[in-house]
Amino acid sequence: MDEGRSRVRIFSAIVLIILGTLTLRLGKMQLVDSQSHTGQSENNSMREHRVQAPRGRFFDRNGVLLVENVPAYTLYVTPNYFDDATIPLLAELLSVSDSTVARQIQLARKHSVFKRSIVQSNLTLAELGRVLEQRHVLSGIDYDITQKRTYTTPAHMTHALGYVREITSSRLDARTDDQYRRGDPIGQSGLELEYEPYVRGQIGADYKMVNIRGQVVDDYLRGKMNKAPVNGLDLTLTIDAGLQALAESLFVNKRGGVVAIDPNTGEVLAMHSAPDYDLNLFASRLDPKKWNELLHSPDEPLFNRVTQSVLAPGSTFKPMIALMALSEGTIDENYTYYCNGGHPIGHGDFFKCLAKHGSLTVVEAIKESCNSFFFEMMRLHNVNTLHDFAAPFGFGEAPFLDIARSEIRAGLLPDSAYFNKAYGERKWTQGYIMNLGVGQGALEVSPLQLVRYISAFANDGLMVTPHLVRNMVDLQTGEVTTPEIEPPHRIKLNQTYLDMVKLGMRRVITDESPWLEIPGVTSIGKTGSAQNPRSGTSDALFIMAAPAENPRIAIAVIVENAGFGSGSAGPIGSFMAERYLTGRIDPKRDIYMKSMMSKNSVRITNN
Amino acid sequence: MRTWYRNLDAISILAWIGLVLAGLVAIYSATHGPAAEVSAFEPEDNFAKQLLWSGISVFGVLVALTLPVRFFQLAAFPVYVITTILLVVALLIGREVNGAKSWIYFGNTGIQVSELAKVGTVMAVAQLVGIRRPKTMDLKFAFMLVALILLPAALIVMQNDTGTALVFFGLIPVALFWSGIELNLLLIMIAPAFAGYLAVVSEPVAFVFAVLFTAFIWWRTRDKRIAVVSVLLTAGVTAITKFAITKVLSGYQLARVLSFTDPGAEEFRQNVGFHQVNSMAAIGSGGLAGKGFLEGTQTQGGFVMEQSTDFIFSVIGEEFGFIGSLVVLGLFAVLLIRLLTLGSNIKHPFGMMMAGGVTGVYLIHIFINIGMATSLLPVVGIPLPFISYGGSALLANSALFAIVLSLHLRRDDFSIYGY
Repeated sequence: MDEGRSRVRIFSAIVLIILGTLTLRLGKMQLVDSQSHTGQSENNSMREHRVQAPRGRFFDRNGVLLVENVPAYTLYVTPNYFDDATIPLLAELLSVSDSTVARQIQLARKHSVFKRSIVQSNLTLAELGRVLEQRHVLSGIDYDITQKRTYTTPAHMTHALGYVREITSSRLDARTDDQYRRGDPIGQSGLELEYEPYVRGQIGADYKMVNIRGQVVDDYLRGKMNKAPVNGLDLTLTIDAGLQALAESLFVNKRGGVVAIDPNTGEVLAMHSAPDYDLNLFASRLDPKKWNELLHSPDEPLFNRVTQSVLAPGSTFKPMIALMALSEGTIDENYTYYCNGGHPIGHGDFFKCLAKHGSLTVVEAIKESCNSFFFEMMRLHNVNTLHDFAAPFGFGEAPFLDIARSEIRAGLLPDSAYFNKAYGERKWTQGYIMNLGVGQGALEVSPLQLVRYISAFANDGLMVTPHLVRNMVDLQTGEVTTPEIEPPHRIKLNQTYLDMVKLGMRRVITDESPWLEIPGVTSIGKTGSAQNPRSGTSDALFIMAAPAENPRIAIAVIVENAGFGSGSAGPIGSFMAERYLTGRIDPKRDIYMKSMMSKNSVRITNN
Repeated sequence: MRTWYRNLDAISILAWIGLVLAGLVAIYSATHGPAAEVSAFEPEDNFAKQLLWSGISVFGVLVALTLPVRFFQLAAFPVYVITTILLVVALLIGREVNGAKSWIYFGNTGIQVSELAKVGTVMAVAQLVGIRRPKTMDLKFAFMLVALILLPAALIVMQNDTGTALVFFGLIPVALFWSGIELNLLLIMIAPAFAGYLAVVSEPVAFVFAVLFTAFIWWRTRDKRIAVVSVLLTAGVTAITKFAITKVLSGYQLARVLSFTDPGAEEFRQNVGFHQVNSMAAIGSGGLAGKGFLEGTQTQGGFVMEQSTDFIFSVIGEEFGFIGSLVVLGLFAVLLIRLLTLGSNIKHPFGMMMAGGVTGVYLIHIFINIGMATSLLPVVGIPLPFISYGGSALLANSALFAIVLSLHLRRDDFSIYGY
């Protein structure tokens, strides 16, 4: 039996060798290479569903809810499980063309065969329902609930708020490192763009387990890996929704812009550019036709006239010239200039005035808006003196506003270097400079620059930084943060001279355009009418601040092609100031306001 | 005081029960997990059926324990003849399942007769060895032994069930080993097969093996002729294999043979390598402790095909990890080693051959099955004993186990035949 026993031993050894080989193999797979096999298994069965964080909501300065989110539905495809034969069915259910769906599928395939990509976002519940009814045919299709923007007040605030859209391919390529994926919403303009990192929140993730057919079976690892989204920060804006709504209704059928700020803080109380457009267009799937209309409308609704429209300030610039002349010591309160209906500019040429004003002091010149007086002021001064005096008030540089820098223009405050460059040394004449005295010529200013200037004049030289956001609130922690805005600073001005200029501006209201006087509130202002590069009537301008002694609101208004400032632009400013300061419009002025609202300056083709 | 159950072996019974239970757990997971609610990839009643077959098997083992040793000896050849006839019947009127025509149906219940043929063949081989005088090893006997195995093997090949046929071919060296063939000769028989396997994996390694093996044989025998034969066989098979995979085989067949060496390769992963890619992902991702019962993402997602039958080990590997795999392999080790010990204790050629044959059959199944699940071997469709779903296989494997157990229980009865 020794032979038998040794065979048992040999065979036992063979058994152990074979089982040992299998054990080694399993050890290699399950202990050494476990990570890579886990990766393979996750590739198979784990699907990351991104959970969009609710974007931060927007509130006005009084806590009125302006912008919030409502549920929307996003349809996804996992190309590996999708049957191209179902493209026509899917296209029909979504009411889009076959080629649109085919293109999305192709894009999805390019992105990843096994990961899901968006077919269409912003489905309505009804559309989603139609698709889900066909789910048994449409393999590889599933959906997520997302959030879309909704606007809750009658005020549009279009240009201030800005819109949110699906991130474009080019931007996606440009920012690969910050967790944006195809289909993610991203702020595209206005506050939505500027505060994107804050209002976006943090995307969460649901890990789902799918089976070999791509059907979701369960949470992956019972949801252990899931990350909850973190809400974006809520923004409290400086805008007064009621004042904004008034501004918007006053601009019906007009082109132009208005911006109102608090002269003490720089908080923007209202900002409107007309015509505007309905942001709801972007909240849902944007109709390409509508978008095309917006892009190519002659009224340029996408253009923010408050920050991007830089035009001649016209007569609204005269207080600046007056203060410069006083401050330079060129004139004093007793100085007079005789207006005989114009001002000679040499070579027998003549700049016209609106009237033969006769002998005027500086206060009277502001009040009467006498061109001749201000031509004379610039004749007496070097262009660089004006440049150096006006520059601290923010002309010639892009003012800060917490919207995208690309939406803010710098305008032009010329100096001699500019003229040398533009026309060649000594090729430009005194006339070019004198023209600046009445706010024409090379000057280019935006309403945002004008409002800072009138605000500084009204508030004894305090230069504020306009801004739209007061603070940001984290819903989860309750933490309130205030965006870093450059604090106001004071420009050193001679109070006596400033008071003289303000007296002139007070007289503009009381003596020249008493209909702009707000009952019970003293205000200062300056009207203007500026030539513009467009055809037609000149633009109407108005800058104002009130109350004069303790200003709480400063406003700049431009109404394109509306002629005299006192007629179209002035009332808009006056009514807005009244509404803001007194909370109402005096009944006696009510009819006048209604007529302003229905007044057409131009035929608006859009909206 | 001698009790009747003195020789009833508890260790092997516990190992057998453990394996059957492990199989039931794995089959349950493959058919009743959370994913089954979404879509079932394996027939849901596989578990219930296996449970029923387990009961039948337990009953069968109990019955076998009541039978005298002489019954098994006398029944050996008749069982062999009957099961072989059944193979022929299956060929004629059987039903094809998964490409193999090895099933006979009684109503709804199918019997895979090739599984039963294993029992008949092992018994017949044991009986042949048992009725021979010991230590006589002539050519005629060897031929009879081989013919006894080749007959059913050939029928099973005709049924197109290559996997099961492989088990029979594997049984040949096992039978020769236990009937006392000279080890050198056995090695010379087995070595070419191993060389062929190595040639698929790595040709240089195969040639190195051929050289080393020949040196080993030379060292053992100092016989030039044997050395020449061994070098011709091993190197020859290597060369032929190399020739086959480069010149003869092509397309799908070649892919089937080669894919296991790298199932994840671009050309294999979506077709012939798909099973193994996903099986490996399942087992490998199980890690040390596994993902937990009913928590295997590969298993529950139906990524591994045939996961309640041939690829059942992926369920165990994924959900119970290396520890679970070790438990199963450990149970097999205990069972197999124990069976060999029982066979040795029976002290009769019939019993010893029976135990050796049974162990060999199990071992071949285990090696091929887990080897294919872990990509050590090409995909060959044979079940993992006691664990894979399949009534015929469970019953046949349990019968083999029961015979050894019963022979050992009554091993004292053999003495009357003079040993």
